[in-house]
Amino acid sequence: MNTFKGRFYSIFIISYYTGFVVLGIALLMVLPILTAVALQEWNPFWDFVITMAISVILGLLLIIIGKQTRLNKSFVQWKHGFVVASLSWIILMFLCAIPYLLSGHVNSLLDACFDVMSGFTTTGMVLTQDLDHISLSLNMWRHMLTFIGGQGMVVLALTFLLKETGGAYIFYVGEAKDIDLVPNVKGTARIIWKISMVYLLIGTAALWIDGMTIGLTPLSAFFNGLFIFASSWSTGGFAPYTQNMMYYHSFSYESLTIIFFILGSLNFGLHYAILSGNKKELIKNIETQSFFITSFLASVLAVLWLARTGVYNDAIAIFRRVVYNVLSAHTTTGFGSVYARQFALEWGDFGILILVIVMLIGGSACSTAGGFKGLRVGIIFKSILADVKRLLASERKVKVFRFHHIKDQILADGLVKASGLIIICYLITFAIGTLIGTFCGYPLASAAFESASITGNVGLSIGITATGMPAVMKVYYIIAMYLGRLEFLSVFALIGFIIGGIKKCWTK
Amino acid sequence: MLDKIIKTLILTVSLLFCLSGGVSAADVVELNQLVENAEAMDGQTVTVTGEAIGEAMERGDHAWVNINDGTNAMGIWMPLDDAQRIKFFGDYKHIGDQLQVTGVFNQACAQHGGDVDIHSNSITVIEAGYVTEESVSSPKIIIGFVLVFLASVLGFIYLKIIKKSDG
Repeated sequence: MNTFKGRFYSIFIISYYTGFVVLGIALLMVLPILTAVALQEWNPFWDFVITMAISVILGLLLIIIGKQTRLNKSFVQWKHGFVVASLSWIILMFLCAIPYLLSGHVNSLLDACFDVMSGFTTTGMVLTQDLDHISLSLNMWRHMLTFIGGQGMVVLALTFLLKETGGAYIFYVGEAKDIDLVPNVKGTARIIWKISMVYLLIGTAALWIDGMTIGLTPLSAFFNGLFIFASSWSTGGFAPYTQNMMYYHSFSYESLTIIFFILGSLNFGLHYAILSGNKKELIKNIETQSFFITSFLASVLAVLWLARTGVYNDAIAIFRRVVYNVLSAHTTTGFGSVYARQFALEWGDFGILILVIVMLIGGSACSTAGGFKGLRVGIIFKSILADVKRLLASERKVKVFRFHHIKDQILADGLVKASGLIIICYLITFAIGTLIGTFCGYPLASAAFESASITGNVGLSIGITATGMPAVMKVYYIIAMYLGRLEFLSVFALIGFIIGGIKKCWTK
Repeated sequence: MLDKIIKTLILTVSLLFCLSGGVSAADVVELNQLVENAEAMDGQTVTVTGEAIGEAMERGDHAWVNINDGTNAMGIWMPLDDAQRIKFFGDYKHIGDQLQVTGVFNQACAQHGGDVDIHSNSITVIEAGYVTEESVSSPKIIIGFVLVFLASVLGFIYLKIIKKSDG
């Protein structure tokens, strides 16, 4: 039954679902509130109570405005899914920035929004000041944001808050998580969250135990383990201290994070296939092949290059300072085992270029990683090979080319085109970021490094990202992180929707 | 003439010797300066100051203590006895002891897997840390209560409306 009246019914649909997303995130604030109570951090306690109340009010208002949607769910279209995903991210960016602002650890609303977007998009760049003195509850919030952002918060809220999720696949794709592990979307989302929660338990326990062996107290080891796992698995790159991974001074701790961020950068479909007993998928999958080849080549090249400089003289140092950062960049994690300025001062142009390339490629599609993804690189590479083979083959022979990603798939022209378009969009975003960086007076290599890190949602910095950088760069970086994470389509849908709405108003 | 030159030289050397006995503020290097000039400073004995942060991480008869001087943070590798003299470490509820560390700076420490660190020779607590007092402002509490009340009222209205629209 259609009870929608007028031409603007889409607004009600979008309002209704966005309301649920906001409400979902509001409910998650219970966790930092409980942490604040347990640790008697009363200022953060009130900061989170205020933020939660504002979020609940806004969420409920949006649901009430769009309440007609309850009777018209069949009217939900693709455009609504994309717009809900992109709009929710913007609203949540402002709401989740409130605890940062109230904590007094950020210089402005813009800086707070930057850090929230950095968390949501699993980038990991930081503008929060004096990290070494922030409360554990705010740290919990920072790492929760990156963990939830990595798994897909729109999907999380809608799958768990709504009883009926007919057409929920639309929201799924809107958040760049287009995968169908089981026929229904609710099942798929639950599997993704189940996989993540199992890893969360295992990962936190492993880092907790290792944390105690490297000299952390049991309570501190637990929180550090939880935070570092959340960051590793979601390929986020946040850490509770200013020094990031350098705080721990531990090879074992770094090694554990490598395992978790590589696992996090793999496709959820691959995890599901392996957990379902299909172990061969790990070798056959085009994405794992692509990731293995590019990460191996990048590591070898970076090691060879930095061996010439003579800074690192033994294998362990080279692994911990060079390979670690290459893998961290490639999986778009952004954990740093060297100071930001060391990239500029010691890595040289070639080293920076290697990192720029792997940061742009990124991890796997439908994982927590960013970048334009190994799957697309694999598809484009295979299509080039296919075109060469076609040229060399007899004209009468029609050959169908395939690739393996969870199942054997045909290398269709449409797929190649879609992959190419997304890669072009990433490259344009990267180029604009580099352009703005150089315009603001930064050297080309540094501007390109930072722009690649932002566009690929990586989080490694060469020293540009700081509270003192021009506001225009902060704004552009927020947009680039957002575009990169949602893989452009949802944001384009939102822009199209707004322009369409204005046109409608104009023609009325 | 020669006598004068010799006297001046002796005086200058003695003055230099006397002045180098204590560490003046000018001798203290900022941590960020070390990072920026790592190659030039590698292997040199430096003096840095900074707040002990987080906690001491015990590793056998030594420990890692990270210090932050406001320009950057860096790990100090020190004997366990020295680490145990630090009473307060900076975190949300504490301002850590302010340390003055003299030690050897490493651009890529061979002992610690290429770490940028300082191996301490001496540690002095130049300012004791303390527990910070946390007070919540009254307006924050009042705003909190008002917003929670408003959210509850709206929640009640929402349930009424939804029930009505479903019915």
